[in-house]
Amino acid sequence: MTLLRSTRNPTWRRFLPLLVILGLVALVVWRMLYLGSVGERFNAGFFLRAFIDSVKLGSLYALIALGYTMVYGIIRLINFAHGEVFMVGAFTTYFLFTITPYALPAAIVMAIILTFGLMRVVELFRGSMRDPIVLGVGAIGVVVLTVALSAFTWPFWAAIVGSMLATGVLGLSIDRVAYVPLRSAPRNSLLITAIAVSFFLQNVGLLAFTNRQTPFRPDTPLTTPLAFEVGGAPVLTNWLLVAIPVVTLVLVIALTSFVTRTRLGKAMRASAQDAEVAQMMGVSVNKVIATTFLLGSMLAAAGGAMWGLNFGSLNQPAIMGILPGIKAFAAAVIGGIGSLPGAVIGAMIIGFSENFLTALFPRTPTFLGITEFKDTFAFVLLILVLLIRPSGIVGEDLSEKV
Amino acid sequence: MARIVTPTAFDAIDPKKRVRNVALTFLAVGVGVLVLYLLEGIGSTKLVQALALFAIWGVATVSLNLINGTLGILSLGHHGFMLIGGYTTGLLMLDEAARQRILTSARSTMTEETLALSVSNLLRGFGLEALTTPETLWVRFLIAIFLGGLLAAFAGLLVGTPSLRLRGDYLAIVTFGFGEIIRLTASTRLFSAYTNGALGFPGVTSEFGKSIWWTFGALAFTVFVISKLKYSSYGRAMQAIREDEIAAQAMGVNVAYHKVLGFVISAFFAGVAGGLWVSWLGGVRLDFFLFQLTFFFLVAISAGGTGSITGVLLGTAVVVFVRQYGDPLEESYSIQTWLYIASATLALAAAGAVLFRTLRRLRPRLHWGSWVLVGGAAAAALVAAVDPAVIEGTFRGFGMRAIFLSVLLIVIMVFRPDGMLGRTEFSWSWFLREQRTGPTDEERTQDAWLSNPAFGSEAGRAAAREQELAEDDTDAPEGSDDEGRR
Repeated sequence: MTLLRSTRNPTWRRFLPLLVILGLVALVVWRMLYLGSVGERFNAGFFLRAFIDSVKLGSLYALIALGYTMVYGIIRLINFAHGEVFMVGAFTTYFLFTITPYALPAAIVMAIILTFGLMRVVELFRGSMRDPIVLGVGAIGVVVLTVALSAFTWPFWAAIVGSMLATGVLGLSIDRVAYVPLRSAPRNSLLITAIAVSFFLQNVGLLAFTNRQTPFRPDTPLTTPLAFEVGGAPVLTNWLLVAIPVVTLVLVIALTSFVTRTRLGKAMRASAQDAEVAQMMGVSVNKVIATTFLLGSMLAAAGGAMWGLNFGSLNQPAIMGILPGIKAFAAAVIGGIGSLPGAVIGAMIIGFSENFLTALFPRTPTFLGITEFKDTFAFVLLILVLLIRPSGIVGEDLSEKV
Repeated sequence: MARIVTPTAFDAIDPKKRVRNVALTFLAVGVGVLVLYLLEGIGSTKLVQALALFAIWGVATVSLNLINGTLGILSLGHHGFMLIGGYTTGLLMLDEAARQRILTSARSTMTEETLALSVSNLLRGFGLEALTTPETLWVRFLIAIFLGGLLAAFAGLLVGTPSLRLRGDYLAIVTFGFGEIIRLTASTRLFSAYTNGALGFPGVTSEFGKSIWWTFGALAFTVFVISKLKYSSYGRAMQAIREDEIAAQAMGVNVAYHKVLGFVISAFFAGVAGGLWVSWLGGVRLDFFLFQLTFFFLVAISAGGTGSITGVLLGTAVVVFVRQYGDPLEESYSIQTWLYIASATLALAAAGAVLFRTLRRLRPRLHWGSWVLVGGAAAAALVAAVDPAVIEGTFRGFGMRAIFLSVLLIVIMVFRPDGMLGRTEFSWSWFLREQRTGPTDEERTQDAWLSNPAFGSEAGRAAAREQELAEDDTDAPEGSDDEGRR
């Protein structure tokens, strides 16, 4: 076995990734030192801020990219509407912590949606909607949630959880209404439908939520300031610096263990490998696909809430989801589409290219900086990766596909 | 003995029928021109504008259809090419007063050198002073849209050459990415001297974009070129690529060349459409070229029939109609009215579902989903009729047209992915009761499987018999060999 591998991969080739990474790090350090000698402004604090921003942004992209990569892994669909699902998640969070308590009719409708999401989540572990525990959760959930929605102002964490459930239901219904009838259709039709769904959600969001930029400042300890010094340079930030990567990490670990440890997760992996054969082996592929939509949308909703927290406001619905969505898709492709760790790696690369790279080429008296172009980096990287290594960094055959 | 196959009534290449069809087409074009002439005289400005917009978007959809329908590649970057054509035309055709205004404006990022770029100056450079008079504006406009198209085609070459190696949905995403890159970089300082950044510039002549004759002329030219291309050897190669890329390659089709060729031609016409669109709008701004534009074209293509030029024009008519005459949808009505509208929509959807299930012979005809729709309709009507609290207040359906178009696209994709016409083109035979009931004799003899005597017509059977006899004659000595080998 080792012999086989060494004939396929010469020694230098095995160390190539390491060499590339080391080379990149060396270039970055050299550039940082050079900039430090050019201007007083470019001290350790400047680069640390950029580093923090990159990690935060990368984590947010990772939460969105996981949804893309799971769906693509199984039905080979670029779920164009995923960016809009992310947008809906952010706005649902907003409407859960700002305008609660609701009027009773609205509270009942919302409670039904949330309970349905809750039942689907419990069902993941119980196997059937008719399970007594699932039904019990449903019965108690409707009552409790109706009371909670019509009587209390929701704290931020509850708003996030509620939004994840509601957005999960949205993902399920998108799958049911738009994608299930097209399971056997050509892939271009599926993609066009996804674009239509995305456009639909944008405009419904514009109609139902708001049509302008919305401040997003929940009452939470996460946004309390955090100041420290690095090498004599002060860095002023807030606790989101810790919270966003930690939340992402927890959710990614939860997802990975779901995929590797549970029966349904095993079914997901089987469907990703070969849906037809999995179906023959008794896997209900439609249910697996619905599950990926549920989980992906829930992660996107968490990402949306964190996004609002990070930037302090939400863009108007028609444009909020497009760029983050498409960049997260680029991240999934760069990492290797269909792979969970790949999506996280790709998202980090995009996050760093957007914040750290622009910090490495900042505005100086002689140079205008590259901040203007940062939205195009994801596309350029996407095109380069597709042309050079279409299987992405964590190639398909090396990784676990979901 | 060779048998002469007489052309039947169903034969597509019957010369008499062909002459008749061409004559009918010319007649229709003549009637169309007459109708346009009358409409220009009688119709309101709004109608004329809608017709012009139909023709402009028709240029764009027919060219996008060359990629999406004939070549079978999903391209989502058409708005980028239109942007290039539009900005080029806009800059070259900017009138002098607008140039002076931009030059003196403090917020403008254009320089004197870029503002000196115009067709008039270009013609002066060639010593053609005669073509810079106000009467010859149309010559300059022609040159400007041609240059805009060329620049867009060049961009198409740059975009297409590397990316067309990718397959299906990745390619769609990459074309989308390029479209967005074009839009995002147009406002950066790389190009802001030409595009005036995010501000854009007003003051492009709308004499041509709002004229029926110019726009329909451009549409006729586009349809002529693209249909000629579609039925040429290039077009057949492209359709072969659409059907099966590997098989096409095996048959000797240069896949990369044909893909890039289609892409470049399509980008050229996208640039022309962009120029006309800018002229229709009377100015240039970045948000005239959002992805939304490509989305509308996609709706038009999918609704009309991917791959069919006439079908695409039909779809464009639908989209333009919704865009230009759908504004009642976006007005402010009382919530009660909206509830009634919602109720009626749900009831119509339920009726449509029942009709669909009846036509497809699905049972039960009343699916539980229809009951849900009926229930929703009843609930909405009930609330509107009973509850006085919700009747207070009004609601503005901002964006309803876009919602309508996206729902339309989803419905088409789910229930009739081929669109109205599918891949077939409009044909006069539809009206003259000449429905083809089967393949022509020529097609039968070409098709190996159908030329099996058991399936063929009399002629096909005869041909097959002759062929068999001929084979028996020549193969007779070898026949025993075959048996021996077995």
